[in-house]
Amino acid sequence: MIVLDAVTKRFPGTENPAVDQLSLSINEGEVVVLVGPSGCGKTTTLKMINRLIEPTGGRITVADQDILELPAHELRRGIGYVIQQIGLFPHRTIAENICTVPTLLGWSKQRIAERVDELTELVDLEPAMLQRYPAELSGGQRQRVGVARALAADPPVLLMDEPFGAVDPIVRGRLQEELLALQQTLHKTIVLVTHDIDEAIMLGDRVAILNVGGHLEQYDVPSEILREPVNPFVADFLGTDRGIKRLSLIPISSIELDRGPVVDHLASTETAREVMDEYDVDWAAIVEGERLRGWFSADDLANHAAVADIELRPFLTSLDITDSLRDALDVVVSTHTSVAAVLDGDRYLGMVTIDSISSEIVQ
Amino acid sequence: MILVAQASSMGFRWDWVGNNLDDIWDRTLEHIVLTSIAVGAGLVISVVLSLIALRWRPSYQPITWVTGILYTVPSLALFAFLVPITGLTITTAEIGLISYTLLILIRNIVTGIDEVPAEVLESAVGMGYTRRRRFIEIELPLALPVIVTGIRLATVTVIGLVTVTSLIGLGGLGFFILRGLQNFSSPIGTTQIIIGTLLSVVLAVVADLSLAGIERLLTPWRRRRLGT
Repeated sequence: MIVLDAVTKRFPGTENPAVDQLSLSINEGEVVVLVGPSGCGKTTTLKMINRLIEPTGGRITVADQDILELPAHELRRGIGYVIQQIGLFPHRTIAENICTVPTLLGWSKQRIAERVDELTELVDLEPAMLQRYPAELSGGQRQRVGVARALAADPPVLLMDEPFGAVDPIVRGRLQEELLALQQTLHKTIVLVTHDIDEAIMLGDRVAILNVGGHLEQYDVPSEILREPVNPFVADFLGTDRGIKRLSLIPISSIELDRGPVVDHLASTETAREVMDEYDVDWAAIVEGERLRGWFSADDLANHAAVADIELRPFLTSLDITDSLRDALDVVVSTHTSVAAVLDGDRYLGMVTIDSISSEIVQ
Repeated sequence: MILVAQASSMGFRWDWVGNNLDDIWDRTLEHIVLTSIAVGAGLVISVVLSLIALRWRPSYQPITWVTGILYTVPSLALFAFLVPITGLTITTAEIGLISYTLLILIRNIVTGIDEVPAEVLESAVGMGYTRRRRFIEIELPLALPVIVTGIRLATVTVIGLVTVTSLIGLGGLGFFILRGLQNFSSPIGTTQIIIGTLLSVVLAVVADLSLAGIERLLTPWRRRRLGT
């Protein structure tokens, strides 16, 4: 969808190019995150795609068309653009801000009004906001408006320059999830710039790690980059906890679950003791059919004649099968049993143990 | 009779005001017309010069330099210089008045445009605004408050300066001040000075408040803020 071929940008009066012979190809419908330290040319690279910065060498095509063939303003109307400071027009209402590009394209009033309604719903904005001015909105709301405005004319390509850099961490997390949810339905080709490797891992279908001077160090899916950084620069950039970061990309469903020290609710105390011995633990969980009922300790067992008489303790936390191993790690390390139960709705699937998680880290 | 005359000599001669209402009204109108022409023409010239300065930055300094000199030349000296060329005409008066508006207006126009936030411009360009549309639809409205402030300042300055043009016979309310100075020791003189001064101050205040009101109407977004 977007192809950069040996693209170079040399700013006047500087010795080294900001971006040097960068080649990168971005497929239709994928989210590619450009990430790297400051001075790596990631923003310059992004801005060359919509010609806010003109390349001094190489060639960029969007949908097989050389971007230099179109007048710059026409090219830009076909590419959504979101920046960190959002840049809403303070003198225009939210509705007017959202329909900026459709207005530039000369859509009819009717069509614009319909589109504004659609977008309001899409980015989950209260309709009452539409007649307000940007200064009356919170940072998170403004960011949503910024995204709605970029999507207004339904461009196939979206460029996002540190889009969540200016909001607080809680709002940022929510906006990131919203973007992923939005992308599930929209399938845009998104190029996103960030300096935050965690954001890159979370949002990117593929991540391009750039080094100073616009050198592409590694370009791959996040789990591969985390699993096998190609050089010390990438490894260093990912951080020493890259093994743990990678866990967030691995769903629990991809590992084999342990059955765990589990007994039926009608089981005898002998069976329960055998299971505890087998697993070398001082507790056991009770299932009734496929449902996990709770757990009891070896002491509880000693004081009761039958398993059915024991007052069960509830599992305070459990994992859903769609959670990641990173979530599993959080639960496992915060329980004294060092395991976590995995459920699919009400159905008990098995246990995740610290061993099964750490074997994924060292892999 | 003597008592009445004494009382009036100390105070304000309402009878003079009553007898000269038509004249006062005419001079007030003249004052307004002289001011409007000066500010209107000054604005047109300033917009043109500001556009040149904005488009071609190196010209900004010479422009402010020249208009700065015009601004600092004493008005009496300027009229003395102009009268031999353009005579005791409205042209002379207006050249003087206009030249005092230029520095204020150009500075405010250029500053207003310069102060438009960079991220607003970047997003405007990034979404496909052409240069001309961006200037008219984004930069100009956002610079409006600063520009209107310049117009207010220029207007109030000119209203004050019009009284000086009375020296070349076109003074609006300044006419009464000049007359008053000529009749300085008489009660009528005092009344004339008071009327001329008071009305030009009222004119300045009314003009300033009206322009502020117009600005408020034109910039609804500035009245509404989060949490206020």
